[in-house]
Amino acid sequence: MNGLVIEPGSTLAYHTGDWRTQRPVYRDKWPPCGQTCPASEDIQAWLAYASDQKWEDAWRKLTERNPLPAVMGRICYHPCELGCNRKQMDSAVNIHGVERYLGDMALQKGWRHKPITDTQKTQQVAIIGAGPAGLSCAYQLARRGYPVTIFDNQDVAGGTLYSGIPEYRLPKSILAQEINAILELGIQLRLNSNVGTEISMDALRNDYDAIFVAIGAQQARVMTGLDNSSHSVMAGVDFLRAINTGKSIQLPNKVAIIGGGNTAIDAARCARRLGAEVTVICPQEPHGTQPGHPGAEIPASLEEVLQAEAEGVRLVYRAGIKRLVRSGEHLSGLEIARVDRLHNLQGDFKPVLFEGTEEFLPAGFAIFAIGQEVNWKGLEAVIEKPANNITVGGDAAGKPRFAATAVGSGFQGAMITIASLTGTPPVYEQHEKAEITVKQLHLPYYPAVIRNESAILERWKDNVELVTGFNEEVTLNEAQRCLSCGVCFQCDNCWHFCPDAAVIKNDTGYEIDYDYCKGCGICAQECPSGHINMEIVTT
Amino acid sequence: MDKRDPYRHNVLTSGHRACSGCGEAMAARMVTDLIGANAIYVNATGCLQVFTTHNQQSSWQAPWIHSVFANAAAVASGVEAALRARGDDTPVIVQAGDGGTFDIGLQCLSGMIERGHDILFVCYDNEAYMNTGVQRSSSTPHAVRTTTSPPGRLSEGKHHLKKDVLSIIAAHHMPYAATATVAFFHDLKAKVEKAMTIKGPRFLQILSPCPLGWDHDASLSVSVSRLAVETGLFPLVELENGEVTSVMRLKQQRPVQDYLKLQGRFKHLFNSTSTAETATGNANGAAEIRHLQALADARIRRYELLQAETEWDTVRASQVQRHGRGGYRNTGQEAAS
Ligand SMILES: Cc1cc2nc3c(=O)[nH]c(=O)nc-3n(C[C@H](O)[C@H](O)[C@H](O)COP(=O)(O)OP(=O)(O)OC[C@H]3O[C@@H](n4cnc5c(N)ncnc54)[C@H](O)[C@@H]3O)c2cc1C
Ligand SMILES: Cc1ncc(C[n+]2csc(CCOP(=O)(O)OP(=O)(O)O)c2C)c(N)n1
Ligand code: SF4
Ligand code: SF4
Ligand code: SF4
Ligand code: SF4
Repeated sequence: MNGLVIEPGSTLAYHTGDWRTQRPVYRDKWPPCGQTCPASEDIQAWLAYASDQKWEDAWRKLTERNPLPAVMGRICYHPCELGCNRKQMDSAVNIHGVERYLGDMALQKGWRHKPITDTQKTQQVAIIGAGPAGLSCAYQLARRGYPVTIFDNQDVAGGTLYSGIPEYRLPKSILAQEINAILELGIQLRLNSNVGTEISMDALRNDYDAIFVAIGAQQARVMTGLDNSSHSVMAGVDFLRAINTGKSIQLPNKVAIIGGGNTAIDAARCARRLGAEVTVICPQEPHGTQPGHPGAEIPASLEEVLQAEAEGVRLVYRAGIKRLVRSGEHLSGLEIARVDRLHNLQGDFKPVLFEGTEEFLPAGFAIFAIGQEVNWKGLEAVIEKPANNITVGGDAAGKPRFAATAVGSGFQGAMITIASLTGTPPVYEQHEKAEITVKQLHLPYYPAVIRNESAILERWKDNVELVTGFNEEVTLNEAQRCLSCGVCFQCDNCWHFCPDAAVIKNDTGYEIDYDYCKGCGICAQECPSGHINMEIVTT
Repeated sequence: MDKRDPYRHNVLTSGHRACSGCGEAMAARMVTDLIGANAIYVNATGCLQVFTTHNQQSSWQAPWIHSVFANAAAVASGVEAALRARGDDTPVIVQAGDGGTFDIGLQCLSGMIERGHDILFVCYDNEAYMNTGVQRSSSTPHAVRTTTSPPGRLSEGKHHLKKDVLSIIAAHHMPYAATATVAFFHDLKAKVEKAMTIKGPRFLQILSPCPLGWDHDASLSVSVSRLAVETGLFPLVELENGEVTSVMRLKQQRPVQDYLKLQGRFKHLFNSTSTAETATGNANGAAEIRHLQALADARIRRYELLQAETEWDTVRASQVQRHGRGGYRNTGQEAAS
C-alpha cells in the first residue's frame, strides 16, 4: 500500500445506540378478527398465507383451531367480520369467503390432518355427541396423541349441522367429507349409542379417564298456554330433522312459523321449498330499527332474513300467537296479536300481547321455533356431581349457541381435559399478545380494494346450494385486502425510512440493530400495521 | 466493510452522527443506495459531510470526497472530465445542502450545468444552514423562525420568500431536474433511477426534514415531509429541457396549518405577539398563515397539482404492498477501488 494513503476507519466503530432513550421492538398483536372469532382462529395468519397463495399452509394454520372450514365458511355468521378493522376503512375482509375456499380446496386436494405429536398417550377419552363441539374436541385430543371415542345417538355424525341446517345452506356431502377427515386421525365413532339410556354414565366413567359432554340443545321448547293437540303442529327442529334425514313431508298451502331465530327462518325456507305460502310470526322488530338494542331486533341473521324474503317468505314483526284456531282436529289458522313487551313481569322471555289487536291468520300447519333446551335425561349426574375429568361444552354449556362457538368450546374442552389428565394448568396460547385497534394503524398506506361478495343463485327452488364459492383469483384478491393488523407484512417501510441503517432486512423479516438505533421512533410511526412498539429504555 | 444487510449496500452506513430522526441522513441513504457503491460522490460542506466523517471515521462505503462549501459542482466537474478523458463512465454525484446549492454553491452549479457535465447534483433541502446552527438560507420559507430570523415584537420570522431554485436550474435548458421527498420513497426511487439513465447535467432537489432546525418530534420526519407535499407547499415535479413533464397530483389538498403546527419553527404564528408590519405587508401570525396558504395555492395552480392528468397521485404513491414494492438493486456491488 502507498504510504500516502490514510485508510479511514468506519463509523461502524461508533455505537450511536448509546444515544437512545426509547427503543423500537417488533411485537405481534392479536387483531380483532381473531378476538371475535368464537373458534379463536388466527385469521390474520392464515389470510397472510392465502395472500401469498400458500393455500395449504393457510389451511393448516386455520385448522389449528377449526377443523371444519368448508362448513364454517358456509354457515358461520362470521362475527369476525364485525370485528375486522378494515370496516373502518371501507368494508370488512370477506373472511368467511376465503375460509370456505380453503376448506373446499382441502377436500378437493385430499389434504390430511397431521398429528402434533408422535407419542401415543394411553389415557382414554370419551366424547358424548358428534356435533361440532364433540368433533372439535376429539380432533384436538387425537392430534395430541389421545385415543378418543365419540358416542352419538343418531345414525349420522354432525349433530345439528346435519339435522338442523338444510342442504341448500350446507350440502351434506361437504359436512361428511370434513367429518371423515377428522375421524381419519384415528378417532372411534360409535353411532346409534345413547349415553344415559343404552350406555350408562357410570360405565363410561369406568372405561374412560376423562369425558367431554357435547350433547347440544336439541329438545324443542314447548309453548305453554295453547291447546295440547299435536295435529298439524310441529317443532322447528323436528321439522328440520325430518327434512334433513330425507323424510317426505306433505304440507298444506298455508304454513305459519312462530319465532324469529335462525331455526324459524330455516324452517320457513324449507317449507317454501315444499311449495307452501309461508308467514313467519316474529315477536321482535326488524333489523336496523332498534339501534343499540340488539335484543329488540329479530335474532335471525340479516343475510338469512333477506334471502328468505327474496324467496317469498312473508315476515310479520312484533306479533305473537294467542291461540290455535281449529275446526275439529283440523287447524284453520292462528289468532295473532301485537306485542307489547318481550318479557313478562318476572323478566322471562314471554311476549306480552296488546288486547284488542287480534287478527286471524289462515294456516293449515304451524311450526314452533321458539328455542331449544338441553336434554339431560340419564346424564343428570354430570351436573349434580361435577368432576374435574368431566367437561361440558358446545350448546349444552350455554349461550351463544353457534357452530363456531361449539368448535371453540371443543378446543377449550380438549385443553381442560388434558390439564385434568396431566395435572397441569390448561394452555390456550396466543392470548398474551396485546390487542390492536384501528387507531394504531396507518390506513393511508393501504390501497383501496372493494370487498368481494359471493354470488347467490336465483334457482332457489331446486334445493341446491344457494351461495356460490369464490374462485382462486377472487380469493387471492380478498385475502390481500387484509390489513395484517399488528403483524408485519414486510412492506419495507421501517427499512426504507430508518435514517441510521439500523433496520436490517433478512430472508425472514427484519431486525433492529440496537448498536446503532438512535430511538427516533420513525419506524414505529410509519409502520402501517402497528407492529412496532416504542419502549422506554430504563437503564 | 459493512455487509450486515443482504438486501442493501448501505453506501452510507451506520454510526454516523446525524441527529436522531434526521431527514437528510434518510434521504442521502435512499439516494446513495439507489445509485450504489459504483459511483464517485463529491460532498459540499454541511451537515451530511460533517456527520458522516468524524475522527478519521467515515460512514461512506463508496468513493467519496469532501470539497469546500462553495465548489462541490466544480470539483465534480473536474472528476467527471478526468474520468471521461480516460474513457471511464463511472457516475459522478454531487451532494450538497440548500446553502451549498441555493446560495454559495449556485455559481459553480450553474457553470457545471452550462458546460454540460455528466453529473447528478443532489440538493438535500432542509431549508436552512443547519450545520452551523440553523441560520436562514435563501431556501428558508417565508415566516420561518431561524437563529438569524427570530420572531418577536418586530418580526414574524424570515421576511423573504423561499427561492425558486428549480426554475433557475431549469432555465439552463438542461436534461432533467426534479423534486422529491423522503415520505414518497417510490417516487424518489423512480426519479433517481430515471436520472441515472440520462446523460448530461441532472438536478434533484429533495426536501429533507430536520428535527433540530424545524423543531418537530424526531419521529415525525416522514409525516412532516408528506404534509409538505399534501398541502401544496412542496410540489413534486419533473422538468425535462425546461418543460414540466410530470407532477404528482394531490388527491386531496390539506390546509397548511396541518403542516405548520407540527413544527416549532412556525410556532410563533399560532401565538403571535408581533405588531410590526412585515416586508410583505402582513401584521401578524394569522395573516402569515394566510400568506403561506396563498403561496401553497399559487404553487398548486402553477403546476396544476389538483387537475393534472395522471394516475400518479399522493394516495397511490403512498401505498405499500405485502413484501414491499421493490427496494434497492445494488446488493453485492463492491466499492470501486
Ligand atoms: C336449525 C338450526 C340452524 C342453525 N344454523 C346455524 C348456522 O347457520 N350457523 C351457526 O353458527 N349455528 C347454527 N345453528 C347452531 C349450531 O348448529 C349449534 O350451535 C351447534 O351445532 C352446536 O354444536 P354442539 O356440538 O354443541 O351440539 P349439536 O350439534 O347439537 O350436537 C350434539 C350431538 O349430540 C347428540 N346427543 C345428544 N344427547 C346425546 C346422548 N345422550 N347420547 C349420545 N348422543 C347424544 C345429538 O344427537 C347430536 O348429534 C343452528 C341451529 C339450528 C337448530
Ligand atoms: C465559505 C464558507 N463559509 C461558511 C462556512 C461554514 N459553514 C459550514 S457548513 C455551513 C452551512 C451548511 O448549510 P447547508 O448547505 O444548507 O447544509 P446543511 O448543513 O443544512 O445540510 C456553513 C455556513 C464554510 N464552511 N465555508
Ligand atoms: S369460524 Fe366464523 S367467526 Fe371464525 S373465521 Fe370462520 S367465519 Fe369467521
Ligand atoms: S384487516 Fe385482517 S387482521 Fe385486521 S381485523 Fe381484518 S381480517 Fe383481521
Ligand atoms: S427508525 Fe431506525 S433509528 Fe429510528 S427508532 Fe427505528 S430503528 Fe431506531
Ligand atoms: S413497517 Fe412494514 S416492514 Fe416494518 S414492521 Fe411494519 S409492516 Fe413490517
